[in-house]
Amino acid sequence: MMRNNRWLFLCTVLISLVLLAACSYGNEETTTTSADSDRNSESGPKKGGKVTIPIIADPTFNPWHPNAYAESNVINRVIFSGLTQPGKDLLPMPDLATKWETSEDELEWTFHLRDDVLWHDGEKFTAEDVAYTFNEIVLNEKLGANNTSNFRLLKEVQVVDEYTVKFLLEKPVAALPAYLSLNTEIIPKHIFEGKDPWELTSFNKEQPVGTGSFKLKSYTSGQNVVLERNEDFYGDTALLDEVEYKVLADANTHVAQLLSGELSIFALEDLSAIDRIENAENVGIYARETPRFFWIIANQEEEKYQDVRVRQAILHSIDRQNIIDTVLKGYGTIADAGIAPALKEYYTDDVTRYDFDPERAKELLAEAGWKDTDGDGIVDKDGKPFTIDFKIGIQGDLEAISQMVQQYLKTAGFDVKLNAMEWNAMVQDVVVNRNYEVSLNWWRYPSDPDLSAYFHSESVKGFNIPAYKNPELDKLLDAGGQTSDVAERQKIYIEAQKLMAEELPYIFLWYPQEAQVRVDKLKGVPELAFGDALNYIHEWYIEE
Amino acid sequence: MELSSKPHYTSEIVVKPNKGKTTLLQGLRQNKVAYFSFWFLIVIHIAVFIGPFIWTINPEELQQTGALASWSFQHPFGTDDLSRDVLSRMLHGGRVTLIVGLAAMLFSLLIGTFVGACAGFFGKIVESVLMRITEAMMAIPTFFFILVALTVLGTSPLMVIVVIALAGWMEIARVVYGETLKWKQYEFVEAANASGATPIRILTKYIIPQIVPSIIVSGTLTIAAAILTESAISYLGLGIQAPTATWGNMLQNSQQYIWTAPVLGILPGAAITIVVLTYNFLGDGLRDALDPKFVKK
Amino acid sequence: MYFKSTLPLLHIQGGGDEVLKFLMNRLGQSVVLLLIVTIITFFLINLAPGGPASTMRMDASPEERQAMIEKLGLDQPIIVRYFDWITNAVQGDLGTSFTSSEPVIKRIAERLPYTIELTVFTILISVFLGILFGVLSAVKRGKAQDHVINFLSVIGLSLPAFWLGLMLILLFSITLGWLPSSGVGPRGADFDLMGWISHLILPVLILTTTVLPNIVRFTRSSMLEVISQNYIRTARAKGAKESVVLYVHALRNALIPIITIIGMLIPRLLSGAVITEAIFGWTGIGTLIIEAARGRDYPLVMGVTVVITVVVVVSNLLVDLLYSRVDPRVKNV
Repeated sequence: MMRNNRWLFLCTVLISLVLLAACSYGNEETTTTSADSDRNSESGPKKGGKVTIPIIADPTFNPWHPNAYAESNVINRVIFSGLTQPGKDLLPMPDLATKWETSEDELEWTFHLRDDVLWHDGEKFTAEDVAYTFNEIVLNEKLGANNTSNFRLLKEVQVVDEYTVKFLLEKPVAALPAYLSLNTEIIPKHIFEGKDPWELTSFNKEQPVGTGSFKLKSYTSGQNVVLERNEDFYGDTALLDEVEYKVLADANTHVAQLLSGELSIFALEDLSAIDRIENAENVGIYARETPRFFWIIANQEEEKYQDVRVRQAILHSIDRQNIIDTVLKGYGTIADAGIAPALKEYYTDDVTRYDFDPERAKELLAEAGWKDTDGDGIVDKDGKPFTIDFKIGIQGDLEAISQMVQQYLKTAGFDVKLNAMEWNAMVQDVVVNRNYEVSLNWWRYPSDPDLSAYFHSESVKGFNIPAYKNPELDKLLDAGGQTSDVAERQKIYIEAQKLMAEELPYIFLWYPQEAQVRVDKLKGVPELAFGDALNYIHEWYIEE
Repeated sequence: MELSSKPHYTSEIVVKPNKGKTTLLQGLRQNKVAYFSFWFLIVIHIAVFIGPFIWTINPEELQQTGALASWSFQHPFGTDDLSRDVLSRMLHGGRVTLIVGLAAMLFSLLIGTFVGACAGFFGKIVESVLMRITEAMMAIPTFFFILVALTVLGTSPLMVIVVIALAGWMEIARVVYGETLKWKQYEFVEAANASGATPIRILTKYIIPQIVPSIIVSGTLTIAAAILTESAISYLGLGIQAPTATWGNMLQNSQQYIWTAPVLGILPGAAITIVVLTYNFLGDGLRDALDPKFVKK
Repeated sequence: MYFKSTLPLLHIQGGGDEVLKFLMNRLGQSVVLLLIVTIITFFLINLAPGGPASTMRMDASPEERQAMIEKLGLDQPIIVRYFDWITNAVQGDLGTSFTSSEPVIKRIAERLPYTIELTVFTILISVFLGILFGVLSAVKRGKAQDHVINFLSVIGLSLPAFWLGLMLILLFSITLGWLPSSGVGPRGADFDLMGWISHLILPVLILTTTVLPNIVRFTRSSMLEVISQNYIRTARAKGAKESVVLYVHALRNALIPIITIIGMLIPRLLSGAVITEAIFGWTGIGTLIIEAARGRDYPLVMGVTVVITVVVVVSNLLVDLLYSRVDPRVKNV
């Protein structure tokens, strides 16, 4: 009897605790919103407020650090500044550099720097910082810093005077200003000089010092990073008081917190949540173009993929629009070349198109000698069936997309074995060892049409993973990469796109659109992809 | 555990091992839940292995009905996020899941019985070494081991089976060890030893047959554990990969669609739970049927 | 009840010297165990295809990759690397994490408390409820309560943990909005008691289901064994009240094996913590080792493995010691 009563009592206590906790959790939201609505709402940008952004892991506050991935980039872009930044039309615009010019032979670029920039610790920003960043970090091969492949042709950076630097190149690089606008921020010489830049955890993991519109207020590992407004910012002082980055490893949580008002803005990775967000009241979804394209690659070292008709047949067999609608919920445009619509100046869709046409695919395969002679549903040639060893890494939507691709290819008569590997294992196999037949992935590149790194025969050891070699394409890429004249480049790149669509060095799939989700009360965000919009975070403001 | 000295118990099992199994089934009948579970499992296995021959839709084929379609006569369970028929995937997935469970269990059984019997029978150094290894493996938390092992060995079905087996043989080893120690002392074993039979012969002809009922019980419970482990591995993304369906990876895939199509998650989850449940009931029932104390009371 | 036959070391004869000998013996064995575990883990993780995440980026050029490999010392033969690691480890230096360039010890120290939080609460609740239900089940053996408890136990053992987690999140976080779906809750300056509890509830619940059924069933069978023993009959014959008999005598003796089962459940608890932490984004060492394995952060994987093994070994040791003190048969020899 006694035991039963005690038991009852304990149960009651436990249940009441649970209810209490639940009530207070539910109340968190209501108290914050009522406080917010107290502020009177006038139209026009107002100072104040906070923006919350999710990141999936602890960041590293050093844009060049090999461990600085996406979660670090979104913070470093705000704390630090580069020489240039993406303009609202994606073309490079002044940031730390006010203007730049190039010599006749385009081997020397002179950048004139601002003279009113202070580091967050009060020191003055000078040309020495730029020289240090490039000469000691970027060009130091032993360090293995990020993003240095874009600066392969950089010989050195010279300090001309306190606010002028010269970039000396081995060959002309028309894309230099564009390269300087993406993840290539300047770090302070006076802190790093003489130290190992990757081991300096007091900077990289605790107290970074940058020149951006916000500076670090606090960082709790596994929890959040809080930035506060930099009152001494060289540009327009930010309107927001604070920016908080919450560490949330699980993508589902991002959506849940967006809907409950705890997160303000981010790029949606998992598009299956789109319907929920569309139906929500205070949140909007915005489709944004990004310089990215999804591709399938067929190893050009394998004979059967060297015939362009085979590659074309593969492309005709896949109903790309259906995959875009099913997996990407419509957020993508079919691609038949590599230059994304985001690069408005250079993009053209006047190229060979590859409709979903299984009949045409069959014809092309037959022309290339592949027919289903034994009626087993698989095309063959000289008695050998066309088997495809399809290797992909498991990340994001790649698995879902690849499964659909596999089904389409099977229907077209290919015997496809899909090998979905762990990401690291895939990189080791496909990218490092080039031990693959067919793979599927995507590239994201700086906002410049120079795609030599991915298509040029000299980049075979680098990012030209399919090992595609075409002297005609090489010529075009060289020409386009070495002149800064916009009109000329436009002509060159239109031709390049036509050639790419004909020859399919990569089997182009689509240009994905970013689904940017944002609470309605956050305003002032330019119509750019989230990553690029962060460059304008000092213009964002909250309006209830 | 007391050594039962009931003569009829020993003679029944020693002289005619088969009788042991029949007694098992009869004992099982007393436990209605376990009895029901036994037949239920047989039905499920038949359904899952024969089913695909009746319901012939390809589980990987993209259906015209489109993705996330609701149920219809064509697709009784609708289609999944990539427009594949869910019923077909449940059947094929069931096959894979159950085979993985069975195979992992058999493998575990092999290793565990070998280790336990050797340790119990040979004693001294062999016993020390083998039981220390067993305890060491039990000390490493399963998922830490599985995580690291699968990261290295890759996620092919064979490797998944091997890793699950390697993570679960220890229980069986302990049981077999204990039983071997017990049966080793019986007169008929000592007699065989005295008459010059080799250890292997003694083990296989005399001791192991006595242990078979316990092994069956352990085996049943191990299948249940193996199926659960497979689903947990899939949750971490390390299990058998798509497009091959398993209930575990179907469950993992359904997380994103828990809002729009909860059926995708409820079905495989319920299937796993029910199968594991029935295996557990069966195992419990078998164990109770074997327990002399239970019979006595 | 087969566990007894595998604990041959427990029959200590009482007295300080013997205890010390026992401890030294176990310590020696534990060191060997630790060594074996580290060797196995080191070779396993280094054999995994691919390398540390920083060398495995799609957008890293071959030169960058090579530079990183050399910087991290990965171009050395594997045996050399193991010896480097082990010589540092015995001096207390578990190395530097590849993915964050911070000392491994620091990263573990940051996350371990969260896992401890989770497991301690789970143990408290599981032991309390486990003993309660186990005793109830034993006392009412064969009756309705017994059957219901047994049924629920088996269901608890059969539910895939993350499915249960998913369903609970669906119910309590998404539909009802009562509880948070993930995270450890605000800490440090913003710490708030109710928030803390609300974040703990679901993870602890899930983790409990992985061990509670075992404790219940074990307590039940342990109690049943004890109830049938002679001295209970003697106590009853002496006329003590039924409940006193049950409580004091039976429970006390049944508790002994229960202590050992708790010790044996620690590895299972830590294992379950990996999944539970993954489901709820609970930033403990479970999620830490998942990240570390994925990112091939070898020093971190090794560090966490060492810590986990030490925890398990120490808890087994404590359980054995406790057992020897509590068991009257052993104590009074």
